[in-house]
Amino acid sequence: MLTKLQLHLASIFVKIFYRDRQAIFFSLLFPLIFTGIFLFADSEPDPLKLGLVNKSKDELSIQFTELVKKEKIFTVKEGSENELKAELIAGDQTAIIIIPQSFNNISDPGQLRLLLDASQVRQVDAIKDSLEATLLSIERDLRNTEPMFLLQLEDVKARPQRYIDFLLPGILAYMLMNLCIGGSGFNIVEYRRRGILKRLFVTPIKPKDFIISIVLARMLIIMIQLSVILAMAIGLLKINIIGGLLPLYGAILFGAFIFLCIGFFLGSLAKTQESIRPIVLLFTFPQLILSGIFFPISSLPDMAQPIANILPLTVIASSMRDIANDGASLFAMNLNFLGIILWVVISFFIATKYFVWQKIAS
Amino acid sequence: MSIITATNLTKNYPNPELPGQSFTAVNKINLRVNAGEIFGLLGPNGAGKTTTLEMLEGLNKIDEGSILIDGIDVKINPYEVKKIIGVQLQSNEYFDRLNLSDLLILFASLYSTTTNPKELLAKVNLEDKLYAKPDDLSGGQKQRFSIACALVHSPKILFLDEPTTGLDPQAKHNLWNLAKDLNKEGMTIVLTTHNMEEAEYLCNRIAIMDKGLIIAQGTPQQLILEHAPEPPKAPLHGNIEDVFLALTGHGLRD
Repeated sequence: MLTKLQLHLASIFVKIFYRDRQAIFFSLLFPLIFTGIFLFADSEPDPLKLGLVNKSKDELSIQFTELVKKEKIFTVKEGSENELKAELIAGDQTAIIIIPQSFNNISDPGQLRLLLDASQVRQVDAIKDSLEATLLSIERDLRNTEPMFLLQLEDVKARPQRYIDFLLPGILAYMLMNLCIGGSGFNIVEYRRRGILKRLFVTPIKPKDFIISIVLARMLIIMIQLSVILAMAIGLLKINIIGGLLPLYGAILFGAFIFLCIGFFLGSLAKTQESIRPIVLLFTFPQLILSGIFFPISSLPDMAQPIANILPLTVIASSMRDIANDGASLFAMNLNFLGIILWVVISFFIATKYFVWQKIAS
Repeated sequence: MSIITATNLTKNYPNPELPGQSFTAVNKINLRVNAGEIFGLLGPNGAGKTTTLEMLEGLNKIDEGSILIDGIDVKINPYEVKKIIGVQLQSNEYFDRLNLSDLLILFASLYSTTTNPKELLAKVNLEDKLYAKPDDLSGGQKQRFSIACALVHSPKILFLDEPTTGLDPQAKHNLWNLAKDLNKEGMTIVLTTHNMEEAEYLCNRIAIMDKGLIIAQGTPQQLILEHAPEPPKAPLHGNIEDVFLALTGHGLRD
């Protein structure tokens, strides 16, 4: 049970944070930028600028040209080959399609030539594929032929899944880790260096009370920070938390506890403010790459996957993603939940074992 | 009646110059502080004053020996001891963004008590600084605030670690008066200093430390009587006539 002292101390730590206007500004700025980027990135892709040279000029080619123009993925400009080539080189066109003179000849229609500037178009293959598919369907319309088969993509889980849906839980977990370690590890080193810990420990406060109150305060602050991001994601990016907010907050609380404890441990390892940075980076950076924040762990090399799967950020991010995307329960008896329990135990053990109180005085 | 009794107090630290070996910062010292007195620990830098003080405060582990404060064993029950002592440390750093009033309330809560910040600040002549931040204070004001923090729970014993180091004469005298006033109210004060004037002016009794040992203990008067060097002989004056007269007398001979 929490004591009056722990709650009072926690409220003071919260007060200290909320008087730091710069910290509040930046903690709100990040979600704004994050949401802004994805709002922008999520809009319709710009149409492809396509130059069209019609050397045939007969009815079929004109009909074909009109159909190409109707396609939403193209902005078509007709012109002569030389004129459009110059624009392609200048970067004003993305590709040029040339309809040959023999287009009307059914037995030998000749080749449709596509000109591209490979140095300007990084994804030539992707453009080629989408062009080919579009042109093929136009051709079918023209010739009135039915395609032999149609490929229709259907998600087996029958829910709309965008990249942002995959990304958001991971980003939240990554932010959670950074906020926690900044809130405990960096603070402890700073408090020790400035003699504040020493001043506290000549009073009858017990280390346990001190740790619990910092953990409480940080948890509250982190909940508020993550809530701002979540609110923006739900409101503006239309993220759907299928499993509900309650289990998601449950996972966040577990994560906060684990990372705050690890932060205390890293803060105890570091003797100076200079050494805490590389130590924390050594802990957080590999996890940013390996924990499936930006792309799924299954895309990592086979050898790296078992390691990636047991990292604390992985178990938290995967749990949050399962809850948000698949509606899983927090307490689903899967490897992620086992991993969370394991890390709660490990992190609490190393935080209390290695937090060397006696060193405060020396 | 003694309120602090330290027996065979010893502290070893790893030797930074000889790895694997230790040096003895405090070497089997015995101390006795009477209730209601101002007791001074004197000594040059590195004599072991602060280490001794930190062991008395329960802040530093006692390697050997024992300390009884108001009948409580520091080794066995450091938290009970911390409840009855007030401590002013050499460093004066506090949490950022809290003003003096916030900090005093915070410290009071650490002792599970409440305080009236305005009254407490008035006691140390800082009543107009209630909403100032510690960083806005001058050196002397910081020291006085540090003492105010140590007084939030009305302790029986107040420990001051080099309280006047770096202060100008005015601030120094102001702080001495504060210590005297607190002592008049019945508070026992233990302080470390290497300012002799401070020791002589403030302390009822003094212990002088050097190289981890107590080399003398007593009232300032006793110590002066026992250890002060003989006053130098007056320089000779006069001439050979004075010598002649001294030897043969002043009376007329015929």
